[in-house]
Amino acid sequence: MTNWLITNADKLTLWVGAICTIALYSALYKENRFYRLFEHIFLGLATGFLVAQTWTDVLLPKWWKPMWDEGRWYFIFIAIFGAFYYFIFSQKHSWISRIIIGFYLGVASGQAFQVYANDFWPQIQASFKPIIPHGAVTIAGKAVKALSPADAVNNIIFMVIVFCVMMYFFFSFEQKNPIVKSSAKLGRWMMMFTFGAIFGATIMARLALLIDRIDYLLNEFGAQVFGEASGPKIVFMMLLVLMGIVLYLAFKKDNTSPDEGT
Amino acid sequence: MNILRFLQTVDRRVIYVLLMLSVTAPFFLSIRLPMRVSPATEAFYSAIEERQPGDFVLLAVDWEAGTRGENGPQTEAVITHLMRKKCRFAILSFAPQSPKLTQDIVERLGKEYHSVEGVDWINWGYKVNAKNYLKGFVRDIVGVVKTNNKTEPLTKFPVMEGIKTASDIKLLVNITPSSVYQTYLQFVAGPLKVPMVVAPTSVMVPEVFNYLDSKQISGMMPGLPGAGEYEGKLGTNTKVTRFANSASFAHILIIFFIIMGNVAMLLERRQNARLGGRA
Repeated sequence: MTNWLITNADKLTLWVGAICTIALYSALYKENRFYRLFEHIFLGLATGFLVAQTWTDVLLPKWWKPMWDEGRWYFIFIAIFGAFYYFIFSQKHSWISRIIIGFYLGVASGQAFQVYANDFWPQIQASFKPIIPHGAVTIAGKAVKALSPADAVNNIIFMVIVFCVMMYFFFSFEQKNPIVKSSAKLGRWMMMFTFGAIFGATIMARLALLIDRIDYLLNEFGAQVFGEASGPKIVFMMLLVLMGIVLYLAFKKDNTSPDEGT
Repeated sequence: MNILRFLQTVDRRVIYVLLMLSVTAPFFLSIRLPMRVSPATEAFYSAIEERQPGDFVLLAVDWEAGTRGENGPQTEAVITHLMRKKCRFAILSFAPQSPKLTQDIVERLGKEYHSVEGVDWINWGYKVNAKNYLKGFVRDIVGVVKTNNKTEPLTKFPVMEGIKTASDIKLLVNITPSSVYQTYLQFVAGPLKVPMVVAPTSVMVPEVFNYLDSKQISGMMPGLPGAGEYEGKLGTNTKVTRFANSASFAHILIIFFIIMGNVAMLLERRQNARLGGRA
């Protein structure tokens, strides 16, 4: 049995991958136990993998080995302080957990300065853009690129959008003034365009994942299990049959559409 | 059933089947939809193209199997380019599966480009707590990383020659489906002025544009389409091009359904109004 497993490990891996893919996409037809089973297997595997990886790649080389093999006994305090977190589950001793939480709050607050300086400040600087077209000039020894009329219009649009979006988030007073009100409204519209772009990009991302799985079924599973030349076509035919079954079930008289059923 | 009503109430499973067909069929078609290289991808390409042979590049990969469809082709394109340019590179990851997934790609491409582990590239493996790790990393790479992913000391590898602090890194490439690129920006690229390029998943593209516009990053490879564009620049024709082609067909189908659904809705409203019904 072990020998058979070792000999056929590659093929078994391919089959497992194909079955998992079909099982997870079966949820598109409707919620089913086959899908649920594989979803739980995936969750268990991912959690187990993370635990094992954290031990082998992090705790073992960075903490256990230096402490146990290299004699850095004081590394034990890392575990003791880390364990303070677990006192959060005790009503009586939860104050102990606040020591370590407070420590990390301090660290995070300190880092926040660097985060702000390197992340947001350059963006604030970059939002001040020239809006009058000009040729290439040198100001205080620094060369400034020419700005064409088209670029200037682009910058004006940018500035107007920044102003309008900021106006939308200005809650210090009631937005009654017509200029404030209309610019805030325009700001909201601009954000709607952004959300639309994000939604479109999300669809694109999900499609890429589907394409990758289809490529796996056709060109990895199909090519290696059924042969390089005809394998992808065989899997394609199988997928067509599967699609036909889905359509048949979708249009079957007695079958209630999941959309209608809810 | 009225055709206008039908178009608005198509069973979602029918749409899924059509979508599946639109994605699968292009794998067997020789038609290739045209692809224009975006300025963001062009800038990403230039950032690597401008490197000299032997320059050290930090390849920060933070993706896992869940986003292989997008980040996999991006990683493949970047590694191909780095190997062609004969740049040295190190793989660093804050996602557990990444080092293994990337190592597989590097080993496969390494055979083609005669790139040797330890001489041309090295895998530093999986690390935790990006912010605190990078704080120490920027000052003393060898002291903080210590070993490769096989627990061998970094000092024995020729690829590490002359690499002491993050200032010795000529380019930082981050391939990611998460916000870890911001941490690299805040703690490595920003303070040390290390040029940085990002290859995010499509869903992150709108937010990464802010950093591109403010010139905090030098280039961006936007998701799968970006990987397709990049491959066009490299002149290779692997599965990335097929992927991008499939995505284009699927987009056409989705746009078609959006237009048809909305046109049907507007026509039905007009029809109802004409008949005196409620619009």
